[in-house]
Amino acid sequence: MSAIEASAQSRVEHRAAAAVHPPIFRLAGVTKRFGGVTAVEAVDFDLRRGEVHAQVGENGAGKSTLVKLVGGLYVPDEGRVEVGGEVVQFSSPRDSEAAGIAMIPQELDLFLELSAAENLFVGRRRPRRPWGALDWRQMEARAREQLGALGVEFDVEAPVERLSMANRQIMLIAKALMGDAAAVVMDEPTSSLTEREAARLFRIIDELTARGVGVVYISHRLGEVFMVADRITVLRDGQHVRTAPASELDSEEVVRLMVGRSLDELFSRGGHEAGDVALEVRGLTRTGEFEDIDLTVRHGEVVGIAGLIGAGRTELAQTIFGVRAAERGEVLVDGEPVELDSPAAAMEAGIGYVPEERQSQGLVLPFTIAANISLSILGRLSRLGFVASQRERETADGFAEQLAIRGARVSEPVSRLSGGNQQKVVLAKSLAGGPQVLLLDEPTRGVDVGAKSEIYRLIDRLASEGRAIVLISSELEEVLSMADRVLVMREGRVSAELSREEATQERVIAAATGVAVGEDEGAEGAAPAASVDTER
Amino acid sequence: MSANQLRPLDVLKGVRFTRELVLLCLLIVLVVVLGQMSPVFFTVGNLLNTSRFFVEVGLIALGMTLIIITGGIDLSVGAAMALVAVTVGLAHQSGVPMALALVLGLAVGLAAGLFNGLMITRLDLHPLVVTLGTFALFRGIALGVSGGGAVSSFPQWFEYFGQFYLGPVPGQLFVFIAAVTAVWLLLSRTPFGRYVYAIGNNEEAARFSGVPVRRVKVVLYTGIGVLVSMAAVIYTSRVSTSRADFGAGLELDVISAVVLGGASIYGGSGTIAGTVLGVVIIATLRNGLSLAGVETTWQVFLLGVLLIAAVFVNEFFRRREE
Amino acid sequence: MSGVGALRSVGLRTAPTTRGLRRWLLRPEAPAAVFLVVLLAAFSLAADRFLTPDNLESILVQVAVLGIIALAVNQVILAGEIDISVGSMLGLCAVAVGTVATATGGLLAPLAAGVATGVLAGAVNGLLVTLGRIPSIIVTLGMLYALRGVILLVTGGTWITQIPDETRVLGLAKLAGVSLPVFVMFALFLIVNAVSRNSTWGRDVFAVGGNRRAARLAGLAIDRTRLLAFALVGAFVGIAATIYVGRAGSVQTNAGEGLELQVIAAVVIGGTSIAGGRGSALAPVIGAVLIGVILNGMILVGVPGVWQSAVLGALILLAVTTDALRRRLVGGAA
Repeated sequence: MSAIEASAQSRVEHRAAAAVHPPIFRLAGVTKRFGGVTAVEAVDFDLRRGEVHAQVGENGAGKSTLVKLVGGLYVPDEGRVEVGGEVVQFSSPRDSEAAGIAMIPQELDLFLELSAAENLFVGRRRPRRPWGALDWRQMEARAREQLGALGVEFDVEAPVERLSMANRQIMLIAKALMGDAAAVVMDEPTSSLTEREAARLFRIIDELTARGVGVVYISHRLGEVFMVADRITVLRDGQHVRTAPASELDSEEVVRLMVGRSLDELFSRGGHEAGDVALEVRGLTRTGEFEDIDLTVRHGEVVGIAGLIGAGRTELAQTIFGVRAAERGEVLVDGEPVELDSPAAAMEAGIGYVPEERQSQGLVLPFTIAANISLSILGRLSRLGFVASQRERETADGFAEQLAIRGARVSEPVSRLSGGNQQKVVLAKSLAGGPQVLLLDEPTRGVDVGAKSEIYRLIDRLASEGRAIVLISSELEEVLSMADRVLVMREGRVSAELSREEATQERVIAAATGVAVGEDEGAEGAAPAASVDTER
Repeated sequence: MSANQLRPLDVLKGVRFTRELVLLCLLIVLVVVLGQMSPVFFTVGNLLNTSRFFVEVGLIALGMTLIIITGGIDLSVGAAMALVAVTVGLAHQSGVPMALALVLGLAVGLAAGLFNGLMITRLDLHPLVVTLGTFALFRGIALGVSGGGAVSSFPQWFEYFGQFYLGPVPGQLFVFIAAVTAVWLLLSRTPFGRYVYAIGNNEEAARFSGVPVRRVKVVLYTGIGVLVSMAAVIYTSRVSTSRADFGAGLELDVISAVVLGGASIYGGSGTIAGTVLGVVIIATLRNGLSLAGVETTWQVFLLGVLLIAAVFVNEFFRRREE
Repeated sequence: MSGVGALRSVGLRTAPTTRGLRRWLLRPEAPAAVFLVVLLAAFSLAADRFLTPDNLESILVQVAVLGIIALAVNQVILAGEIDISVGSMLGLCAVAVGTVATATGGLLAPLAAGVATGVLAGAVNGLLVTLGRIPSIIVTLGMLYALRGVILLVTGGTWITQIPDETRVLGLAKLAGVSLPVFVMFALFLIVNAVSRNSTWGRDVFAVGGNRRAARLAGLAIDRTRLLAFALVGAFVGIAATIYVGRAGSVQTNAGEGLELQVIAAVVIGGTSIAGGRGSALAPVIGAVLIGVILNGMILVGVPGVWQSAVLGALILLAVTTDALRRRLVGGAA
């Protein structure tokens, strides 16, 4: 019997017990607004003892807002947060932690210069020696113990900045489990884990639920969700759509609830004839990030790149764009070699890039919409060395109309726009230079469904105009529906190249996490990651 | 936020509560008060004469404004000024024609700035650390090569740079006005100026947008080197001497003027108009208080308090607006 | 548990034998320490009088004031802030020490007056930074002016002379053949090192300076941590001022001018990052000693004194360049 089957059985047992107790926590009709934007509206959500309650929804559906309401980072504008039946007011993460709700922190929240052991103890009671000094030996021993319980072992005295991404992720989980939490919130915990590490996490979840701990599980991977979850709550555009036992749902139904319409309506991708080769990448390498990448994209073609976080996709795109220095290899646009030393050179050669981090890499937030759009092409908009503001505004207006940027005039700061419209500004900026090759890195992250479908239509139109498009995305449906061809990256290498017909969820996930495609062909419907090796 | 909910401060929104406006009011108050305290202060001659003393600080402050907007800083300007002055002095003393000596001085100032810029961009070092190092280095070289001695006896025509008057107007005021205009145009009207603000607000996004971040920074630090050279020449001419202890503490006056003028030390905001007002206020304060018989001790004290208070008020209003 | 073995190899990127050396080389003060050893060797070969107990002791006495203040400023820099007001602060504390010393004599009363003055000034810095939310570089720049003004106001521009001998003990006396300032510097180093390593505040300083956002989420008392660091600077400046007055025997109104930059130089040369969060309590001491050795050695090998500042500047640049290159070679955070 595999670990997963065993856990499924044991879960049935304690699920019965869980229903007797009141929920560990409950959100009752919570609403949270930011300025004019409503992030979540009148959402109910509860977590019972010993259950795994999954939250699913598209980017921008309100999952992270809900998590932050539970975690004390946000205070709801309306509605209540209850813990153990009592209404509570969390004003800081400390409050929610004190109430027994542990969040897995983000990678950003690590202290890179401090050791792994110390990171686990920052902000907590640290073991001390009788005379009051901190007891490092005990701290390190307890850190090793905690990590050992998660089945890993590494140098806890070394600064965290020297740890691999996977070990950092496990450390973060360990940190959340340090206290005696009644509930653990896991937001995309497997996004940078390999299959084997993910399997270990699922075993930990079993152990937790067996002890009566409740787990909120948020993931894009429906296969995983169906594997671990007892109940599933679907969110869409900040609204609660449905909560139901996992056994009453299947993945098609969940996707339909998430998107709110059939996939065909959301995605638009006409059939286009691909033209000549537009972008050619040969043997591109940055040791430790990606190695020997070959990639060809034709005019009019959309090539999707799938893979785990940390597989090297973003690094690859940024190297092609000249933000990172290539160690080896070359990039050609329309047969001409590109100088790989600066974004300016890449843009000159006809490459555009929409970065993954909209706010930190895509936009200068205090700048106006127009100034953001024109930032890359100021030279061209200038006359006698001075910026021609008339021409600048006309260009910006043109893009605002073309991309339907709504919510503010181009002379207003870009920070006034909603996420989706901000993303359109980033797109406009990358289009301003008139690129023939467009690298899109998670172009729909954090935007609502409406803006999403507009962005898909735009991608389709750009392709039909003959541009070559590389679409990097962690949302599988997006890649599968939009791409003519899918490359899967794993640990810095291309692990599979699939045509539109060949590319299925199972195959892509298998290639991304390292299970041979051949073994996986028998896998059923939407449980792609279910073929976990059982280790012993 | 709904439009009908008027907060008290919204009423002021119509007046555009800008930093420059506050500074202008402050300057007017200062002038009126000082005028009351000293009859000499309120004469055109004195007001114009004051400008002789702020041109050196003012020129350098123009460059410093741009550097601070990018989130950088340059502590080495006072030392670089001494280095340029000493170069000019020693070159003249060793028989180099004065014109060539000035060119040499300019080259040294430019090289000093270029050195800062390359250290900061090529090695990815913090500007504070690099310019702290060159602060000591430049001053040290100036002291070392001059042996601590002074050079005077410059040719007669050299006095024009710092002692020339057109009617009642000191000559260097024209240089300053020209420089203000040029830097103002550069910052507010050209792609380069836009890049400066972009870098200060979000360096990473600027890089991702193809802004040549390193080149802009190198140009800025080299540029301030050129401004330092100009200031050094004017100062040397004004006092008819060149010495290695010139410009001691100058960096603090310059940074104070820029910050008083509303530039955020964290980068991203600042204007030439604000800096000019900052420079004038500090100069007025120093000059006016002297005339009014207030001891130098109070001037130093007031300058420090004014700096802290100005930034406090600035941050306070910035937070209110958010 | 075959899986654990596989993961272990992921966790450790280098073999255990090279790990110790590698870790040592990654310590912030390693380049400065190596450089210090090289310099000591070079000066010993170049000048006979260099490697004598007397000369080495006199170097340490020379840098005691600098080292003590740098120890505290190091904590401020680790916490992600900066303090450039210490030059004027030393002057003000020296005035306090001198005034009390001429009035009452003794050692404890002047010392207490110096420390109290320093803590007060440091607390003002800290409060303006934390409660006033003004950037520390501005606050301490302003205080650099303001405190110098206060000195002139208090003294009226005159020197304080005729400091009684019993007050000068801290600057001049020897214990077991070693001057008191050296003892004081090392005692304070041991205390700060222990506190930095083994107290909650000491660790919070690193966390607050390394990742402010994460520190806030972890619920650390960010303001209190920074406030304490600024106050500590004041206290140490007060102690240093007593040594300074003891050695000088008088207080001039320009006492401590330019000291702030030397202090930051000592901290940075020692290997603490100006950006905060990275460094150690040992760094400022090594930095200060390095400065002392180089200035002393230069004189012994016959370099004219006017070149001191140039050498100091070159040293700062060399230190930070080494650090930048080291990061590239050994590999820093990806």
